[in-house]
Amino acid sequence: MRMFQKSIFRGVVLAVFLGTTATVQGGMAVIAHPSNSLAGISQEQLARIYLGKTREFSDGKPVTPVDQRQGSAIRNKFYKTVTDKDEIAVKAHWSKLLFTGKAQPPQDLGDDDSVKAWVAKNPEGLGYVDGKVLDKSVKVLLILP
Amino acid sequence: MKNRLMNALAMCLCLGAGEVYAVQGITLNGFMTAGAVYSDTNVTTLGGSSAGGVVSQDGNITNSVGFSNDSRIGIQISAKVNPKIDVTGQLLARGREDNYSMKADWAFVTYHVSDPLALRGGKVKLTTFLISDYIEVGYAYPWIRPPQEVYSSNPISTINGVDMLLRMNVGDFTFLFQPYYGTSQGAQALVPQEVVPGVPTLLGGPVPSVAPRSFGDVVYADFTADRMAGINLSVGTDVFTVRAGYLQTLVSAPAFGVREDDVTFSSAGGTLDWHNVVLYGEYFQREIKGFANRAFPNQKGFYTTAGYRIGQFLPNVTYAKLDKNAQTGDLGIPVMQTSVTVGLRYELGAGAALKLEAQQIKPEESAPGVGTRGLLIGVPEDNKAMIYGVAIDVVF
Repeated sequence: MRMFQKSIFRGVVLAVFLGTTATVQGGMAVIAHPSNSLAGISQEQLARIYLGKTREFSDGKPVTPVDQRQGSAIRNKFYKTVTDKDEIAVKAHWSKLLFTGKAQPPQDLGDDDSVKAWVAKNPEGLGYVDGKVLDKSVKVLLILP
Repeated sequence: MKNRLMNALAMCLCLGAGEVYAVQGITLNGFMTAGAVYSDTNVTTLGGSSAGGVVSQDGNITNSVGFSNDSRIGIQISAKVNPKIDVTGQLLARGREDNYSMKADWAFVTYHVSDPLALRGGKVKLTTFLISDYIEVGYAYPWIRPPQEVYSSNPISTINGVDMLLRMNVGDFTFLFQPYYGTSQGAQALVPQEVVPGVPTLLGGPVPSVAPRSFGDVVYADFTADRMAGINLSVGTDVFTVRAGYLQTLVSAPAFGVREDDVTFSSAGGTLDWHNVVLYGEYFQREIKGFANRAFPNQKGFYTTAGYRIGQFLPNVTYAKLDKNAQTGDLGIPVMQTSVTVGLRYELGAGAALKLEAQQIKPEESAPGVGTRGLLIGVPEDNKAMIYGVAIDVVF
């Protein structure tokens, strides 16, 4: 676990250091608005946000997470990595929360480009995209393998 | 505002199922169950009146194939007014009521005071059991219908009032503290068959507004519940949830001469979803005082469900029991039965499931001479009733 965190940390450092030209080979980037002041985000906090357990970043600022298209490989991989749930388990989780009116699932925005474009425009935004599409418009909070 | 909603609705309908449509902070979601149910039980004539082939006490499960009992469709509309306030409403149409006429099941405004604390006001869901919050959303639980020995015991599903949701994350655990206060108007309670023949006079004298009844008649009592105060507590992780709840209220049913009788209702239960093991278990007891007790006796009940996930299949078995909760001075005749249900849920991709169920119900006699009926009508003494069901549940 520690090793793992270290490698994530290195990934973040690398991404930040190399700036926007970094291509994260085969990796997935968790992205936020450039004005976001966090240095990074833990997988635990990501899971809490994406499963509707909190509406805030760890610094208390409001967060609005967005999703890639349902059924897409990147979305399934993201949830499996962060929450250890497959597509059906995530759907089941939300069907229990959503229809009680207690929380709303992240909006489904489609693909890498639309997620990146949306996060680039929304200070509360949080998303995940393929490392290949990263550019200056968004800030990388975490690199997932 | 109304226009915008209508536009959103129209666009959603054009996009069809599978899309969650959001426009300017308005989100639409829906769920649907299409189910067929059949009982092969021989129905006899009881008390001189033909039960007419009806098996369940509410008349919706019969010994011919029926589609109305479990079928329903719901649409939920959520609108974000500002970062702190949102509005949520749910429209629901059931096959068993007025041929699918839509009605507002609930509608409330939520004020997010802080991340862990929210206040809600309006018509809110009454959380008396594990799945009360999403009882209409069949996709969210393993059975076609939640075990009736427990879930039929509280006829109130929503209250007009306020509640508070205090949710705290401590490590992997989420604690919920949810007190509520409100009233319920216009709810209907099914009068148990055990007391139906006595209906006009059972409340201490003839009630002119109530016609004489006999076995097999389906009788509902309109009632109100005032000054309802209760609390729902739970703790859980992604793997398990344990909850407990308590409420007290004053029940009135003017047509039946019931005025502000004390009712208390307690329940506790838990659920586990660990690796491939799925478990549910719940218990309740209710105490109803005064005249109301004659038609709505003190009861207790429980069920346990165990399932094991094998790929896309979830075979499961449920044992349930509805029992008397005897108190001294009881006037009512409790309803008693046990049942065993064997079910199979099959995932049809994300957001849809197919379910098959077979349930064997054994009514028990609660008092000499009353006969054994349980939650059924017209099932001969010492007979077991079989109910078969198939349903498709969808969320979109």
